[in-house]
Amino acid sequence: MAHDGVILEVDGISKSFGALAALSKVSFAVRRGQVFSVIGPNGAGKSTLFNVVSGLHTPTAGRVRFNGRDIGGLPPEAINRLGIAKTFQITNIFPEISVFENVRVAAQSRARESGRLASLWRLPDVETGVAELLRAFGLSAKRDALAENLSHGEQRYLEICLALATEPTLLLLDEPTAGMTPGETKEATALIRQIASARGLTVLLIEHDMSVVMGISDQVAVLHFGEKIAEGPPEQIRNDPQVIEAYLGPPEA
Amino acid sequence: MNRALSWRALIVWAMLALLPALPFMSKFYLLLAFDALLFGAIAMSLDLLMGYTGLVSFGHAAFFGLGAYASAVLLERGVLSLWACLAFAILVVGLYALVVSFFSTARRGIYVALLTLIFAEVVYTFFRYTQTFGGSDGIQGVPSPRLIGEFALDTPLRNYYLVLVYLGLAYLACRVLVTSHFGRVLVAIRENEDRARFLGYNVQRYKMAVCMISALLTGVGGALYPGRSAFATPDLMLWTVSGEFIIMVMIGGLGTLAGPVVGGAFFVLLQEKVSSYVDWYFIVIGLVLIFIVLFMPKGLLGIRELLGPRRWRTTA
Amino acid sequence: MDYVVAVLLPQLLHGLVFGAALGLLALGLTVIFGLLGVMNFAHGELYMLGAYAGIAVMGLTHSFWLALLVAPVAVGAIGAVTEVTTLRPLYRREPLYGLILTFGLALVFREGARQIWGGDMRRILPPFTGSTPLLGMTYPNYRLFLLAASSVLLLAIWLFFTRTRAGILVRAAVQDAEMLDGLGVNVPRVFTLTFAGSAALAALAGLLLAPVFTVYPQMGVEMILLAFIVVILGGMGSMGGSVIAAFVIGLAQSLLTLWMNPQRVAIAIFAIMIVVLIVRPRGFFGREGVLE
Repeated sequence: MAHDGVILEVDGISKSFGALAALSKVSFAVRRGQVFSVIGPNGAGKSTLFNVVSGLHTPTAGRVRFNGRDIGGLPPEAINRLGIAKTFQITNIFPEISVFENVRVAAQSRARESGRLASLWRLPDVETGVAELLRAFGLSAKRDALAENLSHGEQRYLEICLALATEPTLLLLDEPTAGMTPGETKEATALIRQIASARGLTVLLIEHDMSVVMGISDQVAVLHFGEKIAEGPPEQIRNDPQVIEAYLGPPEA
Repeated sequence: MNRALSWRALIVWAMLALLPALPFMSKFYLLLAFDALLFGAIAMSLDLLMGYTGLVSFGHAAFFGLGAYASAVLLERGVLSLWACLAFAILVVGLYALVVSFFSTARRGIYVALLTLIFAEVVYTFFRYTQTFGGSDGIQGVPSPRLIGEFALDTPLRNYYLVLVYLGLAYLACRVLVTSHFGRVLVAIRENEDRARFLGYNVQRYKMAVCMISALLTGVGGALYPGRSAFATPDLMLWTVSGEFIIMVMIGGLGTLAGPVVGGAFFVLLQEKVSSYVDWYFIVIGLVLIFIVLFMPKGLLGIRELLGPRRWRTTA
Repeated sequence: MDYVVAVLLPQLLHGLVFGAALGLLALGLTVIFGLLGVMNFAHGELYMLGAYAGIAVMGLTHSFWLALLVAPVAVGAIGAVTEVTTLRPLYRREPLYGLILTFGLALVFREGARQIWGGDMRRILPPFTGSTPLLGMTYPNYRLFLLAASSVLLLAIWLFFTRTRAGILVRAAVQDAEMLDGLGVNVPRVFTLTFAGSAALAALAGLLLAPVFTVYPQMGVEMILLAFIVVILGGMGSMGGSVIAAFVIGLAQSLLTLWMNPQRVAIAIFAIMIVVLIVRPRGFFGREGVLE
């Protein structure tokens, strides 16, 4: 169990690829129920951080603790089963099957038969949960369409549905509004916030769009060249000189 | 009569059962029909891997050949029970498949293609140059297996019904498999292996499982072969034979199960006709493969259209 | 000491040359796979076609050196045409199709060569004969030439990939093919040129080695199997790994033939691969973090 409501603890995480130090001693804690955003200029290491937490990379140094348990080095499927689900920055769905099938197979991984011998002949019934998710994201009408035929915005929603179908307690969203129009972005932001609170989810968010970050975050951490340079509530971050400098360059002296 | 079996399949199977009653079905044609159904069934088992999971095995002939050798070795030594042959084949092919699938499924799909090929080549080399198993001549002149008691499977007619039963059971098993939880995960792995991992699936385990199931089905088919041919030779394990299995699946249409059965039968019959032009044979196969991949990936025979567009690839 | 000089050293030399040829093939495979996402099952046949193209040119001109120039270009052209007509349509599709297609191409090339030139073993006479005394043993001059030629070739390739803009681009793209899109590069042209280049290199290797081995339609098959093992050992996607593993396998093959017959050597090489896969599943230099 987590101590004092901290669901995810990133403790001195460093990650190097050969000579390239993508992350340097990054530390922060995410509390249960929070929407925690990680921002920073390109190449700051945000995606690497997500990859470490979700199991794609093993940290070179430091610890990642989920509900008090060290998850560094676990494979992605194990981490997902513990309750962390991730969406991808570049849409990563199952293209040639239907939208419904997409979410169905995701939901199925939590069925009782999953991973057991009976799964060779049984088909678990997860229809209701799937239908509900599709409805929440407005995809019900498209349930029989092939996933690759959805519009970009709809595919981003499908991304999130896939992650949610695995019944996570911590949701990692990697630029969920990437490529969306401003209208879609607003809608998506509101939807994420709503679903997160409805399901009691904690959300860790990477975003470039400041309006999204300011709009829904409880806490923001800023990465720059692999290091955390600031952390705090959105308003405080917005006015932090170091953060401004990181994005815009040093002030003209 | 829903997931596992359609009325269509049952009717086709019944028609096949009546096939020997046709006037022109001589011994020769019965043997041809045997080959057609046997290789059709093997192609179907390969489709589990190729069509549903998206993995190509370039070494499926090794599973087939090992099953044949397992059977032949027992028959040669006077162990005539068909069941013993099947059991031994399952054991041998199972062990081999365990090793191959373990190494080839540990990484992404390309490893399956490369390692099945390499393993099969090693197996072929081993049997070709090991005198205990007859070297390049293989095991010749084996007696027919006994089904029960003294009932020998020594006529083309009996062998035909044997392979028909095998095909029927294999088809049932495959249908149940692809419409189950397991089958859906296979499709997910095919569509996006990485994503499946992030959804909590131990992808290697699934890949290993389908690899082994496919291998065992093929191995059982191989075990039935010496009953018809009275031999087991290393040529059964040539990479070209693996290529022929692949072409059977492609002709019939990936991911349809029934398609590759038809593709296999079609190919056997075609081969029979074309074999007089032996010289050009491999060029024809190569060109057909290229043609199908580029222009008719859904299979030459459009089986998919026959089954209805929705059935394709959604395992519904 | 005599044994070392008379037997071991020549085999070592031979192993280095063989390893260099393997390295060229494996490098071609790695680059094509990294860039185009296709494992070229027909690569061994391009190697084979290089030897046969050489035979054809020599049949007309009686000049090995001219063949050395023309054959790679010819096979490179074949490669370019092949890539444009058959592989390009497949890039957006599942990798399964590329594998099957190149497998089909291999069949066509192999059988086509057999139809044109017959299935008998052919010989290409080395352009110069005679041997040179070296380190207490005499080595055929051609083999020494091979050693020099392969060193120069590998050096040239290394320079290309580390010092030229094009080479650096391709090398980076092997690691991450998507980055090409963002650089305003004419991607289809890069693909075609790369494929043609790897074909030409394979052909060159085939022709260079032809006077040492015999030429027959199946000669590419054994090479490609070894090249696959090399690629697996070196780690998929690692160019340096491919070359290093090629030399390891080349030397192993060469030295083991001193003590075992060819079939056992094949099984021994295979066993080496298994052991490495158990101990280092990613190969010598496989990259972490790519969900492999």
